[in-house]
Amino acid sequence: MATRVLLVPPLARSVQRSPFWLLLPVGLLYGALALLPIGVILRLGLSDGGAPLRTVLHSPLLLRATENTVVISLLTTIIAVALGTLLAVALWRAGATLRSLLWACILLPFWTGVLIKNFAWASLLQDNGVVNAMLLALGVTDHPLTLLHTRFAVIVGMVHYVLPYAVFPIFTSLQAIDPLLERAARSLGAMPRRVVWLVILPLIVPGLSNAGLLVFIVSCGFFITPVILGAPSDMMIANLIDYYVHELVDFNAAAALSILILAAIAVLIALQQMLPKEGQHGTA
Amino acid sequence: MNVALPIAATAPLGEARHHLSVEHVWKSYTSGVHVVRDVSFTLAPGEFLTLLGPSGSGKTSTLMMVAGFEAPTRGAIRVDGRDVAQLPPERRNFGVVFQGYALFPHMTVLDNVAFPLRMKGLGGAARRRAAMEMLDKVGLADFAARRPRALSGGQQQRVALARALVFEPDALLLDEPLGALDRKLRESLQIEIKEIQRRVGVSILFVTHDQDEAMMMSDRIAVMQDGQIAQLGAPDEVYLHPETPFVAGFLGDTNLLRGQCVGLGEGAAIVRFAGDAIGPARLSRGGGRPGVGDAVLVSIRPERIGLLRPDEVAACVIEGVVADRVFLGRHTRLVVHALGQMLVVSVAEPPGADVVAGAAVRLGWSREDAQILHEMGTGATR
Amino acid sequence: MARRDGLGRIVLYAACLPVLLFLLLPSLVIVPMALTKGQMIQFPPIWISVHSFADYIEDPQWFRSTVLSFEVAALAVAIGCITGSAAALALHDRRFPGKGLVTGAIMAPIVVPLVVLALGGYMVFAWLHLIGGWMAIGLLHGMLVTPYVFISVQTSLVAALNPVLVRSARSLGAGRASVLRHVIWPAIRPGVLAGGLLGFAVSFDEVVIALFLQGPDAVTLPVRMFTAIQFELTPKVAASASLFLVLSVLVLLAQAAVMRRRASGRAAA
Repeated sequence: MATRVLLVPPLARSVQRSPFWLLLPVGLLYGALALLPIGVILRLGLSDGGAPLRTVLHSPLLLRATENTVVISLLTTIIAVALGTLLAVALWRAGATLRSLLWACILLPFWTGVLIKNFAWASLLQDNGVVNAMLLALGVTDHPLTLLHTRFAVIVGMVHYVLPYAVFPIFTSLQAIDPLLERAARSLGAMPRRVVWLVILPLIVPGLSNAGLLVFIVSCGFFITPVILGAPSDMMIANLIDYYVHELVDFNAAAALSILILAAIAVLIALQQMLPKEGQHGTA
Repeated sequence: MNVALPIAATAPLGEARHHLSVEHVWKSYTSGVHVVRDVSFTLAPGEFLTLLGPSGSGKTSTLMMVAGFEAPTRGAIRVDGRDVAQLPPERRNFGVVFQGYALFPHMTVLDNVAFPLRMKGLGGAARRRAAMEMLDKVGLADFAARRPRALSGGQQQRVALARALVFEPDALLLDEPLGALDRKLRESLQIEIKEIQRRVGVSILFVTHDQDEAMMMSDRIAVMQDGQIAQLGAPDEVYLHPETPFVAGFLGDTNLLRGQCVGLGEGAAIVRFAGDAIGPARLSRGGGRPGVGDAVLVSIRPERIGLLRPDEVAACVIEGVVADRVFLGRHTRLVVHALGQMLVVSVAEPPGADVVAGAAVRLGWSREDAQILHEMGTGATR
Repeated sequence: MARRDGLGRIVLYAACLPVLLFLLLPSLVIVPMALTKGQMIQFPPIWISVHSFADYIEDPQWFRSTVLSFEVAALAVAIGCITGSAAALALHDRRFPGKGLVTGAIMAPIVVPLVVLALGGYMVFAWLHLIGGWMAIGLLHGMLVTPYVFISVQTSLVAALNPVLVRSARSLGAGRASVLRHVIWPAIRPGVLAGGLLGFAVSFDEVVIALFLQGPDAVTLPVRMFTAIQFELTPKVAASASLFLVLSVLVLLAQAAVMRRRASGRAAA
């Protein structure tokens, strides 16, 4: 008995895809709320032949704020990437239930938002807070340590915030590793420690650098945490902008500062794009 | 020396001169599922042994236990008599080729091949030289500086082989290495692997689900089903004299005929089939002798059934009616209604024009073509 | 061999424990903090009382701020879902030079410091005389929410939209609108939902932009809390923080449920 075949005519690719003008909404929104403001910022910051830029560059506050930002962000990045790698590896090795549990622990702070976290840390680190209570109880010290309103508190708060951002890229690159590579290496005589050093580590370098860059950039932009957990001397770049806007009411200078920040971020991203993309996974 | 071993031998499996010996190995998981049940075989020096079976038959698990990535729940694995159960994979000196080749993407082809030598402590220049020689042997010397992703599937396969052979392992373990390749490439690589084995002289334990591949490459085949070895023997032995219906059906087409044992002889029985046709059939090695009056199952390959001319005779002759005829190039396939069922007959020479649907024909076979089958036990010994 | 692996794993998980504790500690202490008697927050709490919650709800300013935050977040999610989904659809299955750049631009709000966005937004809205309204905050938050929805919908498209479905629907005579309603929307619905939930949390909790764009009648809850925190840590603040926390947990659970449904939908497909 002959069968009839229903043919699905091949349609042009363009018919399958969604129309390009769907990008219009996002374009309008970003255009109005991002490009336009940036245009305004550029205009204000570079007005008067660049006078606001000069004001900002000569301000001693800038030096202080930049130094704080770089140092604090660098420390935060190093700690966050280290801890993030630990968590990512644990996630990678864990069975299904343990993995869900770990994800829940990592994502809960991600969802609770910066204000809550800082508030909680403020409560925890204050002189009669939990941390001091524990230190006293354990006999580590005999009087409460000043933990709040210090650089230490700022770094604690920042690491706590950025840790999930560090875990995601590292975990992704771990997952991309062919599971048979470890077995191959061991079958060829490699002891487990050498497998980690010679096979796994080289393959997660892109993930590590992505995590580091993301965490560093996010850290540089912090505003709330230095205010709540830090001392006035821990002022970071974002706080400086706020200072220019709300205290000195010098919008031009604030704009000039914003230009500097955006330029710095652009440079960082460009640098990272230039890093050799080692460890691309092309298997059969 | 190609000797077919009985399936479940209680006798100790050979002297220490056997290279690799798998002895009554079981593997089960905490859920209680047995993936490997009482598997035993030996791999002689220079021998090519294939574990053949469908997915889930336990062949890869067995290989992984030999390699050291999984531990047997029961049983022993010995190399030259020494139990290797305590040795981790990195100390077992086996070369393994995995499905998907598992080449290190961040190293060049040369560094990939040199890797095991580096693990053995060879100096930089020495190991690169040895790796280069190996690459030359597989014809990939020009690709030494490339990354694996720049190579084709077949080339990556050869790099994986080179990497597994360069450190002169005790044996080569291959887990369905050719599955991802198209047929032409697979066939040429099969020939290459055999060629390499002949030249290097290494023992090979091969896992595949492709029966043609197993037949083409192996000195012996272990046909596996549900975690057990259903039959172990040389390709011709397993093909022409299958022991169980599974083995008969897995290694090619076959006709299964039911009959009754009406007499016993030396290594054969007389079987009465439906329609009172009577003919001899070989007894199976492992199944014991049927009693007179017992029901038996007989397997006959389509190409072993002959189309008889009116004056020809054979050990067993039956009458039938042709139901279908198809020309397949290398042979012509006839479906014949006989003995109360449909038989498939494969003839090399196209039969006469009068052999068409509806024609009456005479079919015949000899004693060597008919094989009595038995069902497999659970692996208990006699 | 299995034993040695096991030891390594135990060490790994043991090392993670302090880190996990570090991550969870803040969330764990907020609610107990809220339940203290007395005006100042202290630990250990003197005894349990819910007066701080009552204080919080009864204070008209704080109540208004809570409502406002919901309104702002609702607007932000509405905007973000539309723009994010549309962008994900437009870019799906398309290759062109510069696609990476466009994608990067869409993701930019996550990376650019909020202060810069806030400053720019402030200047544009000041010029438009829209400062002091909750809608300005909502619009800017909409831009903040867009990348989250974009990623989420993009993931859904890749995972759940079988390209053959679109082709067969079209060949059976379905127009663009029908394809959208019957083929595409079911596939991206979990993604829009998940992204929207995340976006809601992001907007509800956001401080910097709301701070810059605030007005006498447009003070979101986080801004009010931020101001209060700098001066004193009263239990009222802790009470609202607890509510915040509960909200976050609810959203997290909702998102997990959506994820699970998305995964099972994918398995069934």
